[in-house]
Amino acid sequence: MLFTPTLSAAEIPVIAAASNLKFALEDIATAFHQETGKSLRISYSSSGNLTRQIQQGGPFELFLSANAQYIEQLYQQYKTLDRGQVFALGRLALLTHIDSDLKIDAQLNGLKQALQSRQLQRIAIANPKHAPFGIAAREVLQQQGLWNTIQTHLILGENAAQATQFASSGAAQVGLVSYSLALAPALRNRVRYVLISDLLHQPLQQTAALLNNAGDTAKLFFHYLQQEKARGILSRHGYTLP
Amino acid sequence: MDWQALTLSVKLSLVTLLFLLPIGILLGRWLAYRQFWGKSLLQTLLALPLVLPPTVLGYYLLVAFSPNQGLGLWLVNTFGATLIFNFQGLVLASIIFNLPFAIHPMQRAFSAIPREIREAAACCGMRPSLVLWKIELPLAWPGIVSAMVMCFAHTLGEFGIVLMVGGNIPSETQTIAIAIYDRVQSFDDHAAAVMSFSLLLFSMLTISFTYWLSARSERTHD
Amino acid sequence: MTDSGIHITLQQAAPIPLSVQLECKSGELLALVGPSGSGKTTVLRAIAGLYQAQNSTIICQDEVWQNSTQNLFLAPHQRHVGLVFQNYALFPHMTVLENIQQAITHLPKQQRQAQALELLKKVHLEGLEQRYPKKLSGGQQQRVAVARALARQPKVLLLDEPFSAVDQVTRRKLYRELLALRESLAMPMILVTHDLEESTLLADRIALLHKGEILQTGAPEVVAAHPKSATIARLMDQQNLFTAQVIAHDQKTQKTHLRWQGMLLEATYQAQFAINENVCWMIQSANILLHRRNRSSNGEKENPLQGQITEYMESSGLAHLRVQVDKQLDTTMIISVPLHVAKRNALGLHEKIGISLLSEGIHLMPYQALRSEN
Repeated sequence: MLFTPTLSAAEIPVIAAASNLKFALEDIATAFHQETGKSLRISYSSSGNLTRQIQQGGPFELFLSANAQYIEQLYQQYKTLDRGQVFALGRLALLTHIDSDLKIDAQLNGLKQALQSRQLQRIAIANPKHAPFGIAAREVLQQQGLWNTIQTHLILGENAAQATQFASSGAAQVGLVSYSLALAPALRNRVRYVLISDLLHQPLQQTAALLNNAGDTAKLFFHYLQQEKARGILSRHGYTLP
Repeated sequence: MDWQALTLSVKLSLVTLLFLLPIGILLGRWLAYRQFWGKSLLQTLLALPLVLPPTVLGYYLLVAFSPNQGLGLWLVNTFGATLIFNFQGLVLASIIFNLPFAIHPMQRAFSAIPREIREAAACCGMRPSLVLWKIELPLAWPGIVSAMVMCFAHTLGEFGIVLMVGGNIPSETQTIAIAIYDRVQSFDDHAAAVMSFSLLLFSMLTISFTYWLSARSERTHD
Repeated sequence: MTDSGIHITLQQAAPIPLSVQLECKSGELLALVGPSGSGKTTVLRAIAGLYQAQNSTIICQDEVWQNSTQNLFLAPHQRHVGLVFQNYALFPHMTVLENIQQAITHLPKQQRQAQALELLKKVHLEGLEQRYPKKLSGGQQQRVAVARALARQPKVLLLDEPFSAVDQVTRRKLYRELLALRESLAMPMILVTHDLEESTLLADRIALLHKGEILQTGAPEVVAAHPKSATIARLMDQQNLFTAQVIAHDQKTQKTHLRWQGMLLEATYQAQFAINENVCWMIQSANILLHRRNRSSNGEKENPLQGQITEYMESSGLAHLRVQVDKQLDTTMIISVPLHVAKRNALGLHEKIGISLLSEGIHLMPYQALRSEN
């Protein structure tokens, strides 16, 4: 009983997906199930964490990473079938609790002001060490010349979702987070947000790659992601399409 | 309420108990009755999980069972199986992490049995297995049940190790504690609240039951 | 011809030094007596198999229970011993009846209950079958322990200070019951106790144990009256213990003459001690005669002494006197006389009296330094 073989493809496949894709993927998976009758199990975490789990033999068949570098890393380690496919481009948003009086704008001027007048306490971003959205947030802050001074105010979320949760709950005054999460239905009347220009950061290439033990359902879903229906859902959730 | 996660958690707790019941009884009894060289070292090791941060244990388990080297690699080559990111791995981690919770109360229960009573049983003609069955187990029973209840509750709430060694795989390693964490990150406060409160109630019931049991055993076997 | 007794030899240097050789016949009650720490309980546990001594042989009713040279050792449950523990060790989670039934392994289930009830009756505890041990008095628990030991149909009955945990009144009652029970038991019985009076009351023979070594065995009165050494005399609580020097042996009169504290004493003929040899001697209270106030008698001529009563105590119908011998300020004799004798002779504190030491009561032992003369 202790030792059973790793998951066979006949069982419901496990997909590893970056946290920012949560709400979009749920809708896509539902549509997929309606059309094919097939089910999926999705495990959400930061891309870096998922990469590590895959390296350590995690039972995943498909990996949806928030950037292409992690896929490349796995490809070099012979964990993936190929270099993967960019299926969406992520965006950042500046988000704050609806009752907050902090000024948020696409150039981060309000943020700069709050920082200078010592009114800024905490800002949440995903952990750049293993979350691509955190890397992107850092790039934005560096571009606007805020990175050095804002260090002491940083709260690092373990992944894109946790960072958003910190900001949306008010635990952090403001968050520089995934746009798709800011759009989440659950947050509708709880937050204010503004979309950040994608010129301020490297492209957040949401990349999908099949892993070595990918079964038929996983392969089917991989292709489904790149088709019209899925792309429409991704667009609705704030992703730019390649 | 995420019933899948709850079922998984209950299943994990029960399977852990299945292993810990005989292990706890045998080790607890052995430690209660015997003196031997290296006993205090062994007791220290067995007590480690009490103070060890779960992430430390998680780290060592990951290192030990990573299928890229050493023991993990051997397992893959020999059985085609791994002990991380699956239910079996959680069971193993859970057994290790609950060892002191199982062994300590049982050890106390067995050492509370006066040696003379076991000797009297032997003089009545009972061979050692009968002494265990008819005398020791009935007298140690409250301690054993108490230990099992604590292990059950403790496993139900285990988080850090599960996250590190199990990942967050629905119906495989997404226990209810992880599910709560997951719901919070999905901004689903309602679900998180329902599950948290349920676990809180359950924990209170567990503690009350354990206290009631030890009070009752003090009254009957004094 | 089967030997229905028990033969025990324990010869061990460490960790607990033991030098024991004992025999006990069927129907005989042997008391193992000694101060605490002397190893009595260890010996008992060795007989039961709860302690494995080295270099030992234990044979009971022709069954070899232990033979170190043949590497033979039977576990306790393989021996048929009845052991009554000091604190009774009744199973707390079982009723009295169930406790006793645990030891009845030789009968089928249906008959066990009847047999257990029989044993309960034997120890006068009918009606208490369904009680739990913690609801029993000390005396009742002891009886259950005895019944359970007997239920085993043991080849030897072992009792480890079974009366020490009860009060005086209960104890006396239990003594009588044990003596009555003895009549019907055809097995050797070994009783461990530190209470000399108890051993004298109950035992046919006693074995005196001191630091793991059996110093002397024999009937209680004999060991008390004729201890082989001053150490044994002390262990037997003999209080009139002194040193003296042998002067002469007179075979014709069958007397041995001693010099003691400048006085001449006549003891019975004990020629094993050489002339001029130093010896220890003792005399029991029963062999000290009180000179009556009004009438003298011939017996008073033996080893007469004058003295003064320095302590006087009455208890249990006896008067206990400490008499300081005249001209020997450090020498006292301890005497007990019946109360009516004390009254009739108007004995009391500071009274002067004369006493005689009967020569047949003066018992000689090899010399050893005594910490203090009485």
